[in-house]
Amino acid sequence: METIKKLILEKLPEAVIEDKQPLCVSVEPKQVHLLMETLYNNPEYNFDVLLKVIGMDWGEKLGVIYFLTGSKDLFAKEIVVKTATADRENPLLYSLTDLYETALLNEREIYAMFGIRFINNPDMRKFFLNEDWIGYPLRKDYDGAPALNPMKVESKEIQDVTRRLTEVDGKIQEERIDIFEVDDYIINIGPQHPSTHGVMHFRTALDGEIIKKIDVHSGYIHRGIEKLSENLGYHQILHFTDRLDYLSANINRHCLCMCIEKAAEIEVPERAQYIRTILDELTRIESHLLGWAAQCNDLGATTAFVYGMREREMILHIFEKVCGGRLIMNQNVIGGVMFDIYPEFQKEVKEFIPYMREKLIEYDRFFSHNVIALGRMIGIGVLKQEDAVSYAITGPAGRASGWSCDVRKHKAYSLYDQVEFKEVIRKEGDSYARYLNRLDEIAESLHIIEQLIDNIPEGSFQTKTKPIIRIPEGEYYQSVEAGRGVFSVFIDSRGDKTPYRLKFRSPSMSLVSAMPLICKGEKLADFIGIGGSMDYVIPDIDR
Amino acid sequence: MNYSQPLELSHVTAWLDEVLRGAMPEFWALLIEYVLIGVVLLTLYAVLALILIYAERKITAFFQSRLGPNRVGKWGIVQSVADMVKILIKEIIYVKKVDKVLFYVAPFFMIVASMLTFGAIPFGQGLQVVDFNIGVFYVLAVSSLGIIGVLLAGWSSNNKYSMVGAMRSGAQFVSYELSAGLALMTMVVLSGTMQLSEIVESQRYCWNLFNGHISAVIAFVIYLISGHAETNRGPFDLPEAESELIAGYHTEYSGLQFGFFYLAEYLNMFIIAAIATTVFLGGWMPIQVKGWDTFNQIMWYIPSYLWFFAKAAVLVFISLWVRWSFPRLRIDQLLNLEWKYLLPINLVNIFVMVLLVLSGLTLTGLFPNVFGN
Amino acid sequence: MSGNYFSGLFKGVKSLLVGMGETWKELWTKKVTAEYPENRKTTLFVSDRWRATLTMPHDENNEHACTSCKVCETNCPNGTIQVIQKVIETEEGKKKKVLDRYLYDLGMCTFCNLCVLTCPSDAIVFSKDFENATFTRDRLKEQLNKEGSKLREKKKEVKPEAEKSAPEAE
Ligand code: SF4
Ligand code: SF4
Repeated sequence: METIKKLILEKLPEAVIEDKQPLCVSVEPKQVHLLMETLYNNPEYNFDVLLKVIGMDWGEKLGVIYFLTGSKDLFAKEIVVKTATADRENPLLYSLTDLYETALLNEREIYAMFGIRFINNPDMRKFFLNEDWIGYPLRKDYDGAPALNPMKVESKEIQDVTRRLTEVDGKIQEERIDIFEVDDYIINIGPQHPSTHGVMHFRTALDGEIIKKIDVHSGYIHRGIEKLSENLGYHQILHFTDRLDYLSANINRHCLCMCIEKAAEIEVPERAQYIRTILDELTRIESHLLGWAAQCNDLGATTAFVYGMREREMILHIFEKVCGGRLIMNQNVIGGVMFDIYPEFQKEVKEFIPYMREKLIEYDRFFSHNVIALGRMIGIGVLKQEDAVSYAITGPAGRASGWSCDVRKHKAYSLYDQVEFKEVIRKEGDSYARYLNRLDEIAESLHIIEQLIDNIPEGSFQTKTKPIIRIPEGEYYQSVEAGRGVFSVFIDSRGDKTPYRLKFRSPSMSLVSAMPLICKGEKLADFIGIGGSMDYVIPDIDR
Repeated sequence: MNYSQPLELSHVTAWLDEVLRGAMPEFWALLIEYVLIGVVLLTLYAVLALILIYAERKITAFFQSRLGPNRVGKWGIVQSVADMVKILIKEIIYVKKVDKVLFYVAPFFMIVASMLTFGAIPFGQGLQVVDFNIGVFYVLAVSSLGIIGVLLAGWSSNNKYSMVGAMRSGAQFVSYELSAGLALMTMVVLSGTMQLSEIVESQRYCWNLFNGHISAVIAFVIYLISGHAETNRGPFDLPEAESELIAGYHTEYSGLQFGFFYLAEYLNMFIIAAIATTVFLGGWMPIQVKGWDTFNQIMWYIPSYLWFFAKAAVLVFISLWVRWSFPRLRIDQLLNLEWKYLLPINLVNIFVMVLLVLSGLTLTGLFPNVFGN
Repeated sequence: MSGNYFSGLFKGVKSLLVGMGETWKELWTKKVTAEYPENRKTTLFVSDRWRATLTMPHDENNEHACTSCKVCETNCPNGTIQVIQKVIETEEGKKKKVLDRYLYDLGMCTFCNLCVLTCPSDAIVFSKDFENATFTRDRLKEQLNKEGSKLREKKKEVKPEAEKSAPEAE
């Protein structure tokens, strides 16, 4: 890290470096791009993954926190870059879209939530919110009075125009850009569509059956969880996590709990760690099963869908017995788990493992080699590794592009450093690789569970915590490997019983942001299939 | 060799004819008969559709490890009837900006086309409405009318999904019509006639499927595939691909109009099975072996229409099995399959068949005293 | 070239047949449909930990354990619970606040279990009667304490309901 510090100071002598974990660099807006370029091209360790882009309202200043790491060995080095502007009327920062593709949607989100516009971002529209939304919700001085933004019943035409800010000789210029050409044949895939897996909206320009361009709209089910959290105690925030990526409910919640436990220095008993890890892996299996089933369904194999759901049901059954919830589990709490496992838990899980293995073989015979299916997956929706990195696509999809990005391997948490498992990596980057990755990861998860299930130690499953938790002042990061990739939590605490700012990184948003890239030039039918192979979950995007 | 056929329906029709003709002038008798036939056909059409829908739902469910309809009546047997009633009383929604006339007539094209084909099928001995001498040709011709309905529906709905669906359907239909036609032609070569009744008759001791062995089996498989494709059933259901195009060309239809499309789809499935039965599997002809008179008599006790429906049912089952086992093809895979595989194979196959017939290498040619008529 | 053509064809057909074999097997396997509501008394399974709706157990004397301390109300993240107190005079002539109405809105509840975990008197539990559908939202609003019920005098042991754990309240 010393060399990096030196490198930064060499290039940018006025940068303020705080020696924290992770290293934190604050610079003026004008220098952010230069700093990022330096870090990006740092020969020793390329910081080419922009994992998190966090909009911030520090009171006087508005700004952004960038969390960077490198694709070569994820999390081996981490760096946090901060920048801020004092202009609250017309805050302007510089876009990083030319270095990191993932910045595009994130900057658009920050524009919607904080009103910060980014110079050079090619598509400076609000994401999640309508253009005519009054106020910037995540600002501290936001006025949430319903009268300002009343609910409207009449439908509105979608304006396919965007703006772009450029800086010419120190002056900001704004130009309007049409997203589609005049005679494009545009169909709306979503928000109500059987295969968008939720309320997602793709404006799609077609050339016959071939996709010319996709414009992603989201926010139809945005609930403002981050804003809500700012007014709730830490115990109370927990229940939101289950409602992000509802298929990785337990994993998300695990992440937030770990972040709070780390910050408040709460020990978690060994038994709870075991329960958490086993349930996390069961959640992963369940999520991948649904992913598999839905992907097959998207390709028109309805039967496979039912098979997947059937196996998933068995896991949900176990969940229901453990924690009284099937989808929304509510199992992790700060300091451990809410409920201890039930007496037959081990037996039932052990019965499930061979059953699931058998079913994996059935899936393999039933679908994995079917010529029609192969034709619809091999070589379709190819995501190259550098694109995966640039879009920060992690999880089974990122690993299908050859990028080793499993948090469980690179920054093991809970018990993952004690179990033996393989990180499933494929090079092809197409739908089929993603498909197979998911099935293989189910097998790996079974393997992990097998190693843990017999060794659950006796003891307490929960550390008693105070009813009101205060986190010492500071910034805290925690990442986990959720069903769809790196899910992480950022907490900025001012020592209160509520967080000053809480941000969830959603893996699905990265997945969706790459859809326009990998679907371009594919057929309409494959667009659906690729969507299935990416397996995004909308509430995770819409937070 | 006149076997007794106690349960044959042709006895009833003959008796009815006699009574009518005896009671009134020929013109009136014929008129009444026509009306009766029409009514019977329509009823059969509706009842068959109900049975098929129920069977499909039940069998599909079993493939998918579910129970299927099980609420209305024992094992959900009257589920289809309930659904039919529901569809009849449902409101028909007209979407703004549709092309009213075309939107309205499109379902009729579908249903009329499938009914016209339905009329020409020999359901049993003497149970054929019109026995054209160009039966095969007629069946091919009228069944292709349905595509007009699909195209009109897609166009008039003023919906982009419908439009894409209709266009897919056009491409698909034109391609597969070719294969279906050629496969049937192969069999026409074998039978030497286009008249459906004669085709059935010629299969008395040896089904065409076995008679033309290699060639016939290939033609059979090709016919089933392209028949499937023509009727837009999975895995060839691209025009209505519900995970891509919502419901394709009939997205905007509701109530009875949708019911027409729905009905036609199921009936077309049956019609394909029926034609395949007639042309390849001996139609309504019971299984018979030359010389085994007692055996043959026993077989004849089972009436011919039962034979027909049983054979058709097997084919329908296969169609369902295929449908629920495979994912949907993409449009280029679909066209590839047709133009790269089915069509060339078909062309070679028809040539092979001609050779087989000319050189007498068919089963009837080789063993005339076992299989010959 | 032609080798490819035919091997491709045969491999494809084989893969399709293998797939059909799997569905054929499935055709004969046991079906997994749960026949609700017929199975209510037989195979229907609802876990004891299932959180269906909040209830306040009353004993045979129509007494509950709620001291109307409002801990649950403050802990609920989304204002599902409303504890309304009233002042009564005890026999000794002292004024005392007791529970008047305990209002719970099932339509708002996210089943996070915080109320149950934090209640110092274990006065509320989740029941597993999951059939709570109604035709209007208003019907989801319930009063949990029964008419005329009162606070249990001496603290008796409360039946151990769903596994209790987690933080004791202040
Ligand atoms: S239910 Fe429990 S927490 Fe709520 S007011 Fe009553 S005693 Fe207090
Ligand atoms: S379960 Fe949670 S949301 Fe429901 S009443 Fe209790 S505290 Fe409130």
